[in-house]
Amino acid sequence: MDTSIILQMVVSGAFMGLVYALIAYGFQLTFATSKSINFGQGELVMLSAFFSLTLLNLGLPYWLMVPGGLLFGAALGLVVERAGVRLALEQKSEGWILLTIILGLLGFSAAENIWGRDDRPFPTPISADALHVFGINITPLEISVAIGVFLVMGAVELFKRKTLMGKAFEAVSADRDAAELMGISATRTIMLSYGLSGMVAAMAGILISPITTVGPTMASALILKAFAVAVVAGLDSGFGVVLIGIFLGALESLTSFYLGSGWREAPGLVLLILALAVRPNGVFGKSTMRKV
Amino acid sequence: MLIVDNLHAGYGNSEVLMGASLQVKQGSVVALIGANGAGKTTTMRAISGMIRPTRGAVMLDGQPVQGHGAARIARLGLAHSPEGRKVFGPLSVEDNLLLGAFNHLPRFFGFRAKAEIELERVYELFPRLRERKGQAAGTLSGGEQQMLAIGRALMAKPKVILLDEPSMGLAPVIVQEVFNTIRRLKEAGITLLLVEQFAKSALEVADYAYVMEHGNIAVEGTPAELNQNQRVLAAYLG
Ligand SMILES: Nc1ncnc2c1ncn2[C@@H]1O[C@H](COP(=O)(O)OP(=O)(O)OP(=O)(O)O)[C@@H](O)[C@H]1O
Ligand SMILES: [Mg+2]
Repeated sequence: MDTSIILQMVVSGAFMGLVYALIAYGFQLTFATSKSINFGQGELVMLSAFFSLTLLNLGLPYWLMVPGGLLFGAALGLVVERAGVRLALEQKSEGWILLTIILGLLGFSAAENIWGRDDRPFPTPISADALHVFGINITPLEISVAIGVFLVMGAVELFKRKTLMGKAFEAVSADRDAAELMGISATRTIMLSYGLSGMVAAMAGILISPITTVGPTMASALILKAFAVAVVAGLDSGFGVVLIGIFLGALESLTSFYLGSGWREAPGLVLLILALAVRPNGVFGKSTMRKV
Repeated sequence: MLIVDNLHAGYGNSEVLMGASLQVKQGSVVALIGANGAGKTTTMRAISGMIRPTRGAVMLDGQPVQGHGAARIARLGLAHSPEGRKVFGPLSVEDNLLLGAFNHLPRFFGFRAKAEIELERVYELFPRLRERKGQAAGTLSGGEQQMLAIGRALMAKPKVILLDEPSMGLAPVIVQEVFNTIRRLKEAGITLLLVEQFAKSALEVADYAYVMEHGNIAVEGTPAELNQNQRVLAAYLG
């Protein structure tokens, strides 16, 4: 088989994989502060994408739509924290699992009712015409995905390392009680993490929609893969999710090329099953979840 | 000044503190001693808001703080250096110290410069921390972590510091160092409530002391008075 075709598949898949990594990174943000994640994160991506599309349709230029979409995602993240997570955490229960799933389902119905069931194209000023680099076709659109992913993750990491609020975020992750003793409100830090996580999810939606189109069903496809990435990479390493994301994206694209596009979802599922078999504690790691 | 009056607190349905009362006057060092499980740590937790007292009052410079969350009480000027030190392991020594001053510093940029004076003061008190300021706190030795925990509490410029078993798990030489540090804090006029297993050493630095038994203050007095008390002598200072 021609190696350049394989390489082409790997590279195109890798760009998709970066988006899975970005969504998985959103899981990491909330898990760090609260040991909880939003199981409706896929719907959050989808709703933010639809909202951004609406902004475009209202005539907003692309570059103004982006911050608008990100703000919307952050706001949804805060809603999830308030409605689905906070009470459960206060009662030290795992009710957030069910609650965030339910919120996701609500989001799904809302999207179907507001925007309909059809997949819609997502216009972008960035060209999808291929450039030839070392015999491989890469589109500016794909490059914009990579840039967007690294910009957002880089900005969040800079925030965590360089600002006092970011250090407080790390402190809450390391030891919530001790952080409270410094006057850092854990509740507000958790809110912040959900806001950031929602923003990151919105970015994922804005980046991927021009390639995949926008529709209510994008939620479940994306969440599954992001989940697989998070389970395999663990919930504490940003570098890990990027690596595993690229790996899964590449694997998917190879699979659909060799086995047919119907098998596209298989690698994510297999990876998830394998990861859960090898790490039965799954995303929650060893002791973290029950310790509280 | 810290006044604790008739404090009740516990975990779930089990009541641990049953009406503890104590006072820490401005600029004094007060020792709280007692057997394992007497409720010393629980007292500190109930004062600092880590657990909510079910009854009683905690007054910080005349202001009632009982019932507030820990973050709020910290903002009102109470620093609690908890049992087991609880430094932020993955963060650097300096970041730990900066977070100690969280309430006084700008949340985003320029916080390092604003913290300069306090940071210098802590580094002078603990030169070892300066040497290791870039190192992850979790990789420090137990003694160094204790210094960091004390330094972090000082960074807040608190009205009162609660120090829970600073000597826990440390080699005898280091324990001596810890007590020397406490002496220096006292000379600097820091107001301190100290829980210690090393009752004798604690009484040497303290201005006043309380002996806790089964969630209550059983005996109180100046160190001289407690040293005369046969029961206290036999049980805690033997
Ligand atoms: N998190 C907790 N949950 C339930 N019970 C607790 C908890 N922490 C302490 N206790 C109980 O409360 C009582 C008092 O404990 P506390 O830690 O306050 O004692 P202490 O005087 O600090 O002891 P030590 O000298 O060993 O540190 C003990 O009986 C202990 O078992
Ligand atoms: Mg104790």
